[in-house]
Amino acid sequence: MNLLNYVPGDSFLHRLNPITKLAAAFLYGIACILCGNIGMEAAFIVLMIVISASAGLAGRALRLTRNLVILGLFMFVLQLFFVRTGAPLVVVKGFVLITTGGLRSALLLSLRVVATMLPLMILFAITPMNDLCNALVKRAHLPYRYAFIITTAFRFVPLFSTEFHEIQDAQRARGVDFETKNLIRKVQLVAPLCVPLLVSSLEKVNSSAISAQMRGFELRNRTSGYKEYPFHAGDAVVFATLAGMIAVSAVLL
Amino acid sequence: MITVKNVTFRYKGNEETALNEISLTVVNHDFVGIIGTSGAGKSTLAMALNGVIPHEFAGDFYGEVLIDDEDTVDHAAEYFGRKVGEVFQDIDSQMVASVVEDEILFGLENFGIPHEEIGIRLEKVLRELGIEDLRHREIASLSGGQKQKVAIAAILALEPEILVLDEPTGELDPESSQEIFGLLKKLNEEKGITVVIVEQKIKLLCEYVKHLVVLDRGKLQFDGVPREVITHIDTFKRLGINVPPVAELSAMFRADGSYAGDVTLTVEEAEKMVREVLHDSV
Ligand SMILES: Nc1ncnc2c1ncn2[C@@H]1O[C@H](COP(=O)(O)OP(=O)(O)O)[C@@H](O)[C@H]1O
Ligand SMILES: [Mg+2]
Repeated sequence: MNLLNYVPGDSFLHRLNPITKLAAAFLYGIACILCGNIGMEAAFIVLMIVISASAGLAGRALRLTRNLVILGLFMFVLQLFFVRTGAPLVVVKGFVLITTGGLRSALLLSLRVVATMLPLMILFAITPMNDLCNALVKRAHLPYRYAFIITTAFRFVPLFSTEFHEIQDAQRARGVDFETKNLIRKVQLVAPLCVPLLVSSLEKVNSSAISAQMRGFELRNRTSGYKEYPFHAGDAVVFATLAGMIAVSAVLL
Repeated sequence: MITVKNVTFRYKGNEETALNEISLTVVNHDFVGIIGTSGAGKSTLAMALNGVIPHEFAGDFYGEVLIDDEDTVDHAAEYFGRKVGEVFQDIDSQMVASVVEDEILFGLENFGIPHEEIGIRLEKVLRELGIEDLRHREIASLSGGQKQKVAIAAILALEPEILVLDEPTGELDPESSQEIFGLLKKLNEEKGITVVIVEQKIKLLCEYVKHLVVLDRGKLQFDGVPREVITHIDTFKRLGINVPPVAELSAMFRADGSYAGDVTLTVEEAEKMVREVLHDSV
């Protein structure tokens, strides 16, 4: 399943103002970047999973964490061999391969990658794209045009993948075998599909633009949006908590 | 009322004209069907009715389209968007939102309908189309028939005088197709909305429309009441459009002189005709 789509719900997290959610995801990330303590960095990850669980998103958070850990491992390996500070830890034939400083900073960096990315990914699960953009237009004065481009881009991704599979099915019906294990052969088979996909995508974007235009897109302004996005007490609580978190991280620097 | 006068349109880069010297009139409260083979220019004509063509497509445009005496080329593209609302052929790409409610709100918000009225219109249109339960659904998760209704609702909320639909039943099963036509008939009769529909299913057109237009390679072949247009069975055959068997039957009887009445469009009419023919021959 898609790890970035919206999961409907009515939890505390879901009910926050979309702008609060966006800001909170970033502020959480800032706290994680400031934090220089390995134990606390790990705690931030666990905390995020717990918070997600409160919105019924434990499964999603765990799967995201697993994927991010793979990315984290990659960073870990790179960092491990590049940082040369601290006492030698692994020495092979007189050559210092890994230092304590390297291990420490590799561990911190990889945890930090997971901890900063996770809230941003969870943001997608609790916020409909439309609401986020409309709130940004209304409250943060983002020009509607940009908000529309962002929502449209997100909406079109599944549409394109359906289209791609349709084209692929048509090719399969003509006897093309896409199931090959050979990567180069696979690219050779899939690459020609990109042209019709691009053409039909451009056509789709064009007809979407026409339909938007005929429904008065050009006439829209900041106050057009029907839905209001008020801030509530819950939003204030979130901001206060995050301010506290950032302060603690900065102190433990 | 829409008056199309001698309209010719050639898409940029094409040799052939997509529309060739088309003239026709859509009167108020009309229910017009447009039929023709693929590539005949049906979508192009539908888009010319409210100014999408020539505003949104590059090409050579001749002639004029008047909407209540205002020329479509004299105004910005969206100027007639409310009065002549259009549901385009590609159902997925014309959607602008991911949730049903937002799709319907879009036009209402853009055209500056007062916010206290928006909520009322939204609920009214959901009720009229019987899709209240879809209000908070993701559009991507809907069936073809449901998506069509959402697209129609989004236009209907703008309270158009004329509703143009381009093959709304193209990907629907017979039952949903009937349902869409039934809905349009209701809008036409009860709310007086003028309906123009591009449709391949001639049987449905014969049953519902007041006025049938046949296009072939950009040219207007016929324009009249279905009962009269359908008498040109040879032309329909040449165009590869299957006329309803009941119509074909009456044409056969007319051809051999055993029947002199109108073309039959329904099974009941055909039955009556057959009784007459049998009765006369006894
Ligand atoms: N965007 C376009 N650019 C160039 N040619 C087009 C475009 N759309 C349609 N045509 C051409 O115009 C003709 C009429 O097309 P269309 O109005 O879509 O027919 P129909 O809806 O009856 O199938 C066809 O020959 C088609 O290839
Ligand atoms: Mg068409």
